[in-house]
Amino acid sequence: MRTDDLIRALAADEVKPASVGARLAWLPLALLLAGGALLGIIGIRPDLAAALVAPVTALKNLLPLALGLAALALAVRLTRPDATAPVAGLIVFPLVALALFVYGLSQMPMADWGRGLMGQSAAFCVPAIVLTALLPLAAAMRAMRSGASTDPGRSGALTGLACGALATAIYALHCNEDNPLFFVTWYGLAIVIVAGIGAVLGRRLLRW
Amino acid sequence: MTETDADWSALMRAANGGDTRAYGRLLHLVTPVLRGIVRARGRAFSPEAQEDIVQDVLLAIHLKRHTWREDSPVKPWLYAIARYKVIDAFRARGQHVQVPIEDFADVLPAEPQADPTERSDALKILGQLDPRSAELLKAVSLDGADPAETGRRLGMSEGAMRVALHRALKRLAELRERQMP
Repeated sequence: MRTDDLIRALAADEVKPASVGARLAWLPLALLLAGGALLGIIGIRPDLAAALVAPVTALKNLLPLALGLAALALAVRLTRPDATAPVAGLIVFPLVALALFVYGLSQMPMADWGRGLMGQSAAFCVPAIVLTALLPLAAAMRAMRSGASTDPGRSGALTGLACGALATAIYALHCNEDNPLFFVTWYGLAIVIVAGIGAVLGRRLLRW
Repeated sequence: MTETDADWSALMRAANGGDTRAYGRLLHLVTPVLRGIVRARGRAFSPEAQEDIVQDVLLAIHLKRHTWREDSPVKPWLYAIARYKVIDAFRARGQHVQVPIEDFADVLPAEPQADPTERSDALKILGQLDPRSAELLKAVSLDGADPAETGRRLGMSEGAMRVALHRALKRLAELRERQMP
C-alpha cells in the first residue's frame, strides 16, 4: 500500500475512537458490582460510624481511597502520549503508612507485635481484596487501552494500584482490625499484588 | 518546514470537528517530516522498511487521535507518537535505538524513495482481512473511491460502511504490529 493511499483511507475513516474517559465510566459500575458482592457476603462492620471517629481507623479507610484516586488520575494522565505523570508524589502514601506502622509498634509491648501483625483475618483479607479488585481492573484496563501510553508497564502498574487501593477501601468497610500493624501490612501486600498484576497486564495489553 | 505549530493544531482541530479535507492535508504535511525522522534514525533499513515504519506511525496517529487535547499544541503530541512507534518498530526489527525527542524539530522533511505497493507482506496483510473489509479498504485507498459509494456497491448501509472501514483500519494496525519482521 502506498503511503498516499493509506492517508486517503485514514482520512475517509470518520469513526471517532472511544475515549478513555467514556470507557472509564464502567469503572464505578465494576467497583459497585464487585464491592457490593463482597460486602453482600461478608457484611459491613456494625460499628463503622463509631470506629471512624478514631483517627487511625479513619486513615485505614481514607488512605486507600486517596491512593486509589491519585493513582487513577495519574494513569488517566499517562494515556496521553505527550503527558508526563508525576508519580514521585505517590511516595506520601507509603510514608504515611510507615508512620502508622511505627505508631502501631509504639502502642504495644514488643511481645505482642507478632499477634498484632497477624490479627485474626490476615489469610482472608489479602485474597478477598485481590479478588474484589479483578473486575474493576478489567474495566479500567479496557479504558486504558483506548489511550496511548508510551510506558505501558507503568500505566498498567498505576491502573492496578488504583484498583487494588479502591478495592481495599471497600474491604475496609467490613474489616474490624484497626491495628496499624495489621492493616498496613496486609492491605499494603494486597495493593502491591494487584499493582503487580496490572504491570504485567499493562505490558501486554497497553501496547499500541 | 513552512507550516507552524499553530497551523497544524488548527488543521487537527478542524479534523476533529469532522473536516476530512483538513485531516488529509494534515497527514500529508506530517508525512514528509515523519519520513525524515525515520530515515535519519533508520539508515540500516531498506527504503521499503523505512516507508513501512512511516505508515505504522500514520496508523497510530489516526487510531489515537482522540488522545490529543485541543488546548495543547499538536506537535509534541505527534512527535511523542512518532517516537514511540519508531522505537517500537526498531525494537521489533531487532534494533535498539535512542530517539531524543528534540531531534525531531530539526529533521529535514523527505520524499519517499520507495514505493511499498509491491511488497508481498503488505499484500499478505490485506489478504488476512475479511474479503469485504479488504475490498472496502482497497477501493477507498487504492482507487480513491467514495466510501459511501463503495459501501453501496458492497451492499452496506452508510453506517455499516463507516464502522467496517474503521474496523478494517484497526485490524490492519494490529496485523502489522504482529507481523513485524
